[in-house]
Amino acid sequence: MKKLSQKTKSEIIQIVSAIVIALVITLIVLFLTSKEPIVAFTKLVTSPLKNMRYFGNVIELTVPLAFAGISASLLFRSGLFNMGGEGIFYISGIVATVVATMDISNSFVHSALVILAASVFGGLIACISGYFKAKYNANELVTSLMLNTILFGVGFYILKSKLKDMAVTGVASAPFAETAKLKTIIPKTHVTTGFLLLIVVTAVIFFIYKKTKLGYTIKMTGINKDFAKYSGMSFFSLTMIVHFMSGAIAGMGSSVHLMSMYERFTWSALPGYGFDGCLVAMLGKNHPIGAFAAAFFLSYLRTGSDIMARSTDVPVEMVAIVEMVLVLLITADFITKRIKRKKAATGGTGNE
Amino acid sequence: MSQNYILELKDIAKVYDNGVVANKGISIGFREGEIHAIVGENGAGKSTLMKIIFGLEKPTSGSIVWNGEEMHFQSPLDSIAAGIGMVHQHFMLIPSFTVLQNIVLGDEPTKFSFVQKKESRKKASELAKQYNFDLSMDEPVKNLSVGMKQKVEILKLLYKGAKVLILDEPTAVLTPQETEQLFAELKKFKESGHTIIFISHKLNEVKEISDRISVIRKGQLISTHNTEDVRLEEISELMIGRKVEYLYDDIKSEHTSRKEAVKIEHVTYKSNGIPLLNDVSLTLKTGQITGVVGVEGNGQSELVEVLFGYKKPESGSVLVNGKNIIGKKIKDIREEAKVSYIPEDRMHQGIAATASIKENMISSFYDAEQFNHKFYMNQKAINTVSDELIEEFQVVCQSGETEIGSLSGGNIQKVVVAREYYADPDFLIAEQPTRGVDVGSASFIHTKLIELRNRNKAILLLSADLGEALAVSDHLLVMYEGEIVAYFTDMKALTEQELGLYMLGIKKMDKQEIWRKMHEEA
Repeated sequence: MKKLSQKTKSEIIQIVSAIVIALVITLIVLFLTSKEPIVAFTKLVTSPLKNMRYFGNVIELTVPLAFAGISASLLFRSGLFNMGGEGIFYISGIVATVVATMDISNSFVHSALVILAASVFGGLIACISGYFKAKYNANELVTSLMLNTILFGVGFYILKSKLKDMAVTGVASAPFAETAKLKTIIPKTHVTTGFLLLIVVTAVIFFIYKKTKLGYTIKMTGINKDFAKYSGMSFFSLTMIVHFMSGAIAGMGSSVHLMSMYERFTWSALPGYGFDGCLVAMLGKNHPIGAFAAAFFLSYLRTGSDIMARSTDVPVEMVAIVEMVLVLLITADFITKRIKRKKAATGGTGNE
Repeated sequence: MSQNYILELKDIAKVYDNGVVANKGISIGFREGEIHAIVGENGAGKSTLMKIIFGLEKPTSGSIVWNGEEMHFQSPLDSIAAGIGMVHQHFMLIPSFTVLQNIVLGDEPTKFSFVQKKESRKKASELAKQYNFDLSMDEPVKNLSVGMKQKVEILKLLYKGAKVLILDEPTAVLTPQETEQLFAELKKFKESGHTIIFISHKLNEVKEISDRISVIRKGQLISTHNTEDVRLEEISELMIGRKVEYLYDDIKSEHTSRKEAVKIEHVTYKSNGIPLLNDVSLTLKTGQITGVVGVEGNGQSELVEVLFGYKKPESGSVLVNGKNIIGKKIKDIREEAKVSYIPEDRMHQGIAATASIKENMISSFYDAEQFNHKFYMNQKAINTVSDELIEEFQVVCQSGETEIGSLSGGNIQKVVVAREYYADPDFLIAEQPTRGVDVGSASFIHTKLIELRNRNKAILLLSADLGEALAVSDHLLVMYEGEIVAYFTDMKALTEQELGLYMLGIKKMDKQEIWRKMHEEA
C-alpha cells in the first residue's frame, strides 16, 4: 500500500485503540460475572479460527453486515443521516422472494434476476426519503425511520397474504427455487458467490470515492454543503443518486443474504441488518474498505460470542457490551477533537 | 468628575483564545437614567463589550462595577439577577408561546410551586400599561410583527426588573414608523430612571436619541462625548480613523476601450417586506474594478447573493455579457456567464476544511473536461494545476495533499483566490477578499485582482476596509439602506472621511448624478 495520509493513520490508530479498550472492558466484565473468565475470553477471541465451519460462519454474517454498512456509509459520507436500510432489507427480501419462487430454468439468470430486482426495488424505495429530503428538506432520519415501519407492515402483509406457504406451520414463504440460490464457494459452509459480489461492490464503491466526479461531489457535500452549493454542485441530484445507490446496495445485500443462507423467507420482524449497517459504517469511518473490515470484525465477535455462550456460562448478550463500548468510543470522536482544540486554545493565550 | 455611575467598566480587556484582541483598556461609566450610544465599525469590538456586560463572555482583565460593587458575572443569569437586560438583534422568544408566557418565562410567580397565572398577568399588564405598550397578552408571539416582538423582548426585561437595557442594533429590523415608536418608548424608560445602552451604526439615530456617545475603534475606546457637543462628522471621523495605505497605481494598465460587462437594472429584493435592495441599477465595465463600500447590512451581501444566483430578486434584471442570470443555477452562472466569486466567509462557504488543498483547488471547475476522463477524474491534470497554483499564489504548505483547514487564514484565502482566478472569469465578485489576512498576503491578492483587471475583466470588490477599497478600485460606490447613494470615479480626490459621511447616511447623491458618473467615461 502507498503511504497513508496522516488522517487515515490517526483514524486507524483510533479504531484499533477503541477495539483494544472494548476488549479490555469485556475482560473486566467477564472477571466480574463469569466463573471461568479466561476460558470464556479465549473462546470469544480465538474460537472462530478453530475450524473452517466456524470461520465460514464469520464470513456468512460478514456479507449482509458489509452490504448494509456500505449502504449506510454512502449516505453518511454525503452528510445524510438516513437509517432506512432496515426497511429496505425487509421489503427487498420480499421482492427477492417473489422472484426466487418463480420458475426460471437457467440458474445464473435466475439468481441474477433475483438480485437485480431486489436492488432496483431497494434503490427506488430509498429515493422516497431522498426525494423528500432533496425537495422539501424533510429530515431524512425521521422519514427513513418511519418508512422502516411502513415497509415492514407492507412487506409482512404481502408475506402473510400472498407468499405464505400453507403447507408449513408458522409464517414462511414457499421454498426458494434451487436455481435462484447462490453457489457455495467454500464447501460445508454457506459462503457463496454472494461474497465475491460483495468484494466487487466494495471495490466499485472504493473506486467511485477515490477516482470519480461522483465520489468527489459526495465528499465535498458531506464535508460542507454550503461549499458544494457554492461550487455549483446540485444537492438535489446528488441526494437522489446517493439514496438510490444506497438503497440498491441494501437491497442487494438482503437478496444475497437470503439466497445464501435461507430455504424460505421467514422474517416476521425487521432483521436488524439496517441498524447494524449504521454501526458498521461508523466503525468503518464511512469508507467501503473500512466498512468491510468493520463488518468482518463485528461478525467475528458475534460468532465468537455465540460459540462462547454455547460452551461457557457467559450469555451471548455479552457481545452487546463490547459493541456498545465500541460505538461510544468511536462516536466520542468529537470529545478528543474538543480536547485537542482546548489545548491549542490555552496554548494560544499563553503566547499573548 | 465623580458621577454616580450605575454601571462602570474599568479597564476591560478581552483577548480570545486564538489571540484576537477584541477589547483593550476600555473604561466607560453609565449614568442612571441616560441613553448612552456605543458606536463603531464592524468588528470594532462593540458586541464583545456588550457580551461582557451581559455575562456571555468573561473579560480577560478589568472589572465591572455595578452600583459601586464589583461584579463577576458567570452567565446572563447573574447579570439579569443584578438588573442588566439585553435585547439581542435576533430575538430570543418562543414563537408558539403567548406574549404573556414569553414575558414571564423563567420567572413565574409561584405558590407551593404552582404557577400563579393571575398574578403574573397582573404584573405584566401593569408594566405594559405604564409604558403604553399596546400588546395583547394572549396572542402567540409568532403572529406578531418584528416591532411587536421587540416590545415583548423589552417587556420581558422590565418584568425581570432590569435597570439597564442593552439594545443591540434595535432599529436594524424596524420600519421607520416602528423606529419612531421605539424611540418614544426609550425616552419614557429614561424618564423612569432606566439606563439604556444603545448600539448602532446609524449616526443620525444616535444623534437623535442619545445623551452621550462612546466611540470604539479597533477594540479601544476612542472617546466619550455629550451628544449635543459633537457633530456627526466628527463622530464619523473618530469611528473610521486612518488605515493602512496601499499603492497600486503603477501596476494598473490603461484601458482605451471599456465595454459593458454587467448590467444590473432596477433590482429590488425584499425580505419580510423590508426592501434590502431598493431599485439598484449598476453598470460594470470590463477592465475596471468597481468597489462597493457601506456599513454592513446595507444591502451589499444581498447584491452579491443576487448576482451569484443565491437569491432571486422581486424585480429587475441582471445581464452578464448580455446573458440573463436571474433564476439560473449557480453552475450555469459559473460556466455559461463565466462569473467567479470569492466569498466573504471562506471557512463556511469557500472551502471544505477537512479536504485536501488539491481538492479545494479544483472545486469550482471539477466538472470541466480538462479534469475528467470518461469515467474517472484526471488526477494527473488535477495535480498539475493544483501544484502550479500553489506555486504561483505562494501558498505555504507541505504539499497539495495537506488538509486545507490546517493552513493559516491568509494561505486558505490564497487557495480560494487562486481557484476563482484560474476559472478565468469574465466577471469576478470579490467579497472581503483580504479580511483577516496578513498584509503581505493582502497585497498579493490585490495584485492578482489588478492582473485580472488588466486582462480586461470586470471586477466587483466589496470591502469593509476603506483603505483597500480606495487603493484597488477604479470606481467606487457607497450603499446605504439597500440603495446606491454615491458613485465616485476619481479615487485620488476621495478621502475616507468623505466616504464615511455617505456610509452613515449623512450625505447622499441624487440618482441623476450617480447615473451620469457611472456612464460618463468612455
